Amino acid sequence: MWEPQELGAVRSHLSDFKKHRAARIDHYVVEVNKLIIRLEKLTAFDRTNTESAKIRAIEKSVVPWVNDQDVPFCPDCGNKFSIRNRRHHCRLCGSIMCKKCMELISLPFANKLTSASKDSLSTHTSPSQSPNSVHGSRRGSISSVSSVSSVLDEKDDDRIRCCTHCKDTLLKREQQIDEKEHTPDIVKLYEKLRLCMEKVDQKAPEYIRMAASLNAGETTYSLEHASDLRVEVQKVYELIDALSKKILTLGLNQDPPPHPNTLRLQRMVRYSATLFVQEKLLGLMSLPTREQFEELKKKRKQEMERKKILERQVVLESQQRFEERRSDLASRAANGEVVSLRGGPAPLRKAEGWLPLSGSLGQSEDSDPLLQQIHNITSFIRQAKAAGRTDEVCTLQENLRQLQDEYDQQQTEKAIELSRRQAEEEDLQREQLQRLCEREWEREREQFRAASLHTRTRSLDFREIRPFQLEPGREPRTHLAYALDLGSSSVQSSAAAETPNPSSALEPARVWSGPPALGQEFFPQSMISQQNELASLNPFDEEDPSSPTAEGTISPPAAECSFGPSVSILKEYNPFEEEEEAVAGNPFSNPDSPAPNPFNDEDEHPHQRPSSPPVSGNPFEEAPCTNPFEMDSDSGPEGEEPIEEELLLQQIDNIKAYIFDAKQCGRLDEVEVLTENLRELKRTLAKQKGGTE
Amino acid sequence: MNVVFAVKQYVSKMIEDSGPGMKVLLMDKETTGIVSMVYTQSEILQKEVYLFERIDSQNREIMKHLKAICFLRPTKENVDYLIQELRRPKYSIYFIYFSNVISKSDVKSLAEADEQEVVAEVQEFYGDYIAVNPHLFSLNILGCCQGRNWGPAQLSRTTQGLTALLLSLKKCPMIRYQLSSEAAKRLAECVKQVITKEYELFEFRRTEVPPLLLILDRCDDAITPLLNQWTYQAMVHELLGINNNRIDLSRVPGISKDLREVVLSAENDEFYANNMYLNFAEIGSNIKNLMEDFQKKKPKEQQKLESIADMKNVKRLLQNPKVTEFDAARLVMLYALHYERHSSNSLPGLMMDLRNKGVSEKYRKLVSAVIEYGGKRVRGSDLFSPKDAVAITKQFLKGLKGVENVYTQHQPFLHETLDHLIKGKLKENVYPYLGPSTLRDRPQDIIVFIIGGATYEEALTVYNLNRTTPGVRIVLGGTTVHNTKSFLEEVLASGLHSRSRESSQVPSRSASRR
Repeated sequence: MWEPQELGAVRSHLSDFKKHRAARIDHYVVEVNKLIIRLEKLTAFDRTNTESAKIRAIEKSVVPWVNDQDVPFCPDCGNKFSIRNRRHHCRLCGSIMCKKCMELISLPFANKLTSASKDSLSTHTSPSQSPNSVHGSRRGSISSVSSVSSVLDEKDDDRIRCCTHCKDTLLKREQQIDEKEHTPDIVKLYEKLRLCMEKVDQKAPEYIRMAASLNAGETTYSLEHASDLRVEVQKVYELIDALSKKILTLGLNQDPPPHPNTLRLQRMVRYSATLFVQEKLLGLMSLPTREQFEELKKKRKQEMERKKILERQVVLESQQRFEERRSDLASRAANGEVVSLRGGPAPLRKAEGWLPLSGSLGQSEDSDPLLQQIHNITSFIRQAKAAGRTDEVCTLQENLRQLQDEYDQQQTEKAIELSRRQAEEEDLQREQLQRLCEREWEREREQFRAASLHTRTRSLDFREIRPFQLEPGREPRTHLAYALDLGSSSVQSSAAAETPNPSSALEPARVWSGPPALGQEFFPQSMISQQNELASLNPFDEEDPSSPTAEGTISPPAAECSFGPSVSILKEYNPFEEEEEAVAGNPFSNPDSPAPNPFNDEDEHPHQRPSSPPVSGNPFEEAPCTNPFEMDSDSGPEGEEPIEEELLLQQIDNIKAYIFDAKQCGRLDEVEVLTENLRELKRTLAKQKGGTE
Repeated sequence: MNVVFAVKQYVSKMIEDSGPGMKVLLMDKETTGIVSMVYTQSEILQKEVYLFERIDSQNREIMKHLKAICFLRPTKENVDYLIQELRRPKYSIYFIYFSNVISKSDVKSLAEADEQEVVAEVQEFYGDYIAVNPHLFSLNILGCCQGRNWGPAQLSRTTQGLTALLLSLKKCPMIRYQLSSEAAKRLAECVKQVITKEYELFEFRRTEVPPLLLILDRCDDAITPLLNQWTYQAMVHELLGINNNRIDLSRVPGISKDLREVVLSAENDEFYANNMYLNFAEIGSNIKNLMEDFQKKKPKEQQKLESIADMKNVKRLLQNPKVTEFDAARLVMLYALHYERHSSNSLPGLMMDLRNKGVSEKYRKLVSAVIEYGGKRVRGSDLFSPKDAVAITKQFLKGLKGVENVYTQHQPFLHETLDHLIKGKLKENVYPYLGPSTLRDRPQDIIVFIIGGATYEEALTVYNLNRTTPGVRIVLGGTTVHNTKSFLEEVLASGLHSRSRESSQVPSRSASRR
């Protein structure tokens, strides 16, 4: 219900701040730079081998010295200058101070400051070397201060006199230089750590893309390349782990121990690195093994072929339909009946149209038995006509009409089903992950057959129940055999068409899958009624009452098909199932519980224990949280309404904003349209509220 | 108008602007609370903020490899601390953000302290309030009034908090206030003053209908905080107390060490959606037990509450040994507020009962204090209309079957006020506008502020109104968020102990019954 919100008001004082700071800083910076330049001049020549008088001349040329007479007292301590308390000049600013207040700059220190900008390293002086201590050593010569020849005394080979102020400024400058140059260990390690993290952020998505593709059996990426990448990413993770551990333990053995804040910082860095690894590693799915990959590829290929075949089938069917319609029209025209064949979105299927192709696919290719029936009867009629048996033609035509009606109805259902399925397919994709595990389990189960299927179906989402209940329907292979036989047998006696060893046709199919039995369990009543209906419709019944058993076993599949969705739907449904089954064997199976070191689990691959269904089938059980997808599918249907209302509200708000905008810009026609829109939305909202409450 | 998001955005912006590298967040006591309400630790860690320091902490180490983000209230102490900090910087670079308006002279003295040029940013980010829920904010001020008038410090803090809220939401509102409350008027004027003074800050894109700030006083509805509040959050607050979304469980017997303090974060949660809180699962069982205990205890009391109108029942209830001292006093307060002017008001008798029951004097004094605080004389509007009285009795009679109970059926008075406001029917003689201009259309963006504290029950009301009224967005704020205990403390702090201490400047209004 919250509309996008921009950042609140802000006000910057930075320019103001900088102005004030600049006023102060400019002065400061200029001063420092002046000092450094003078210092450079003072140290540019070889002091030790230069006469003191000459040195003094140079020093005086760098900065004009303040006149002695102008300064009767030391400006720093206030003591009066005398013969005993002599004046000293700062070589950097030329000011005067007493000996006590005088500071000294050692050459290395001066060097460090002047060369800071050029080459920074090399001249690192430790504090003990810095002039403070030098100052102490000078004390010994204090006794000679009174000597007139003090000028000689003051010859400083390796130091430069200056005032406290200049010294302070220089010391500050030194500190800055030190800080700039010095990079603590933690920073070095931390920079490496961040680089690693960036690398992961860069590589991991690429890997996940690869792994997902490979696990789906695609051949876009090579397995080797992917596993290389995986190793690479894992190495980076290990590096992150190692680096953060190193940061954690920095300076732990030092004496004195580091400041508690330092330790806290280290702990926090480590903690966030651990969080990072846990979070990212969790999303790093595993790859299929070589064998699994081959398997996956095969599966995918099969599926692709199936899809291709489907496409071809559609083409063939449209041809077939055309032919059929022609023949139907012909036959019906004879009888004066109006033909209404449905074109619909769902194509009519004729067994012959694609039967030859089905061989390569095995299993699941099937035809609509009703259609076959229709086709057969049409040819019967033709033959009966040819034979001149008009009464038989009548019965047959009546029969045909009923079948046609039945078929039409079925097609309608099919069309409805198709559109529903399309919607479901989208859902399916969303739930794919969940299904992966479920399917794996299912495959295990399917080997146990029948009864167990019950429970499984129940455990699944409601939407899935339908296809599974109808699973027997995809068995019409039984029927296919039957239909084939019919087609090949002569028309003269439909009984003959019926009789061909039904048991032999049924048997293999039963072995292939149990669901027919299950189907009977599910639809006992409807099947019986269908059977009865069929019995009355079916000409074969009348003509061959001698094979009731055959009829009994054969018709159930047909009956199922007539009231359920068409076979082709189920068939299309299947590939999905199989693909997922195959995939479910492996991916995500190692979602690494967030152990302190997640790498420990790395080499443990799930397919090493594929036989235990609960483990490999439901990898999410291992994950620290409950399966999030389960929740999704549960809350989906209920959660929809309020969300929609929220959306509506949002929409209303948006439109209000647009209206306002349009009004402001004077686009009156737009305002009108929008207002209309708004009214409509409000009405919908009111309606919805009325509905929900 | 999401206050949590508003503050969070400010904090995110600060962190983003400081660029990559290890960071320390330098705060004061109040801003620590403000930030912790909108960011969890792991969230902020992901943004490379590894340390959290108080500006007044003396034990800070020099860590030149850290960048410092300073988020501070613009108080004098903070400016002084910051000046010291800049003179001897402990971190490599400073990004300074003040949570409110800072004076030019303070900026100048800070600039002059920054000789080492470590400051990279000086800004005002108006996150100067505690964002409790997306549409509930608090200033954590307990005891804002002395008598009927503001304490000067509290008034200034409240003005700052309220103007910061307006700025963070980019609203320049028209102001209405509760006429019967001097404090409300005062605050309205102060806010207006700031808006006028900082007019260039308050120049936002004009909306069709200008936003509205409504300032109310707690004394207009003293009932709501006295009743038990039955939403999850409110219950937790009532039973355990929530402070800055933190619950102190250290007094719960047998609680494990990690659960001494629990953060109740509704940050990623639609307020009250399913009454679920993310970090709450852990303490779920503890809370559940507490709730059960509480409920076991309560219904007995409620059963007899059926007709509070019947004085005898109240009497009998008071004699019930199972009713705690606190609840007994509360009961009498409710009775007193309700039948304050009733001819057969037998408050003295009830007070005697309280004394006989051994209820401490502290609580007995509170009864009169509450009446003084929220009695009819000070109420600008009629809390118990005759219709309400009937409705309440009805509720008492029917409300006790099953799960429903008296307390859940109480609609805070705020609901009616806001309802009228939304419909454009709020009386101008009771809630006048500050200044000459008035709102022609119905308001869309509404900020309600309750001097003396809001309650979670009122937050729920606002939440529901937001949900059910398209096009209307309401944010509720208070000087604090009350449960019964803290409300009584508030009453105590105001120093209104007895009627004798008359505050004559308050216009005594006879409640006009409808």
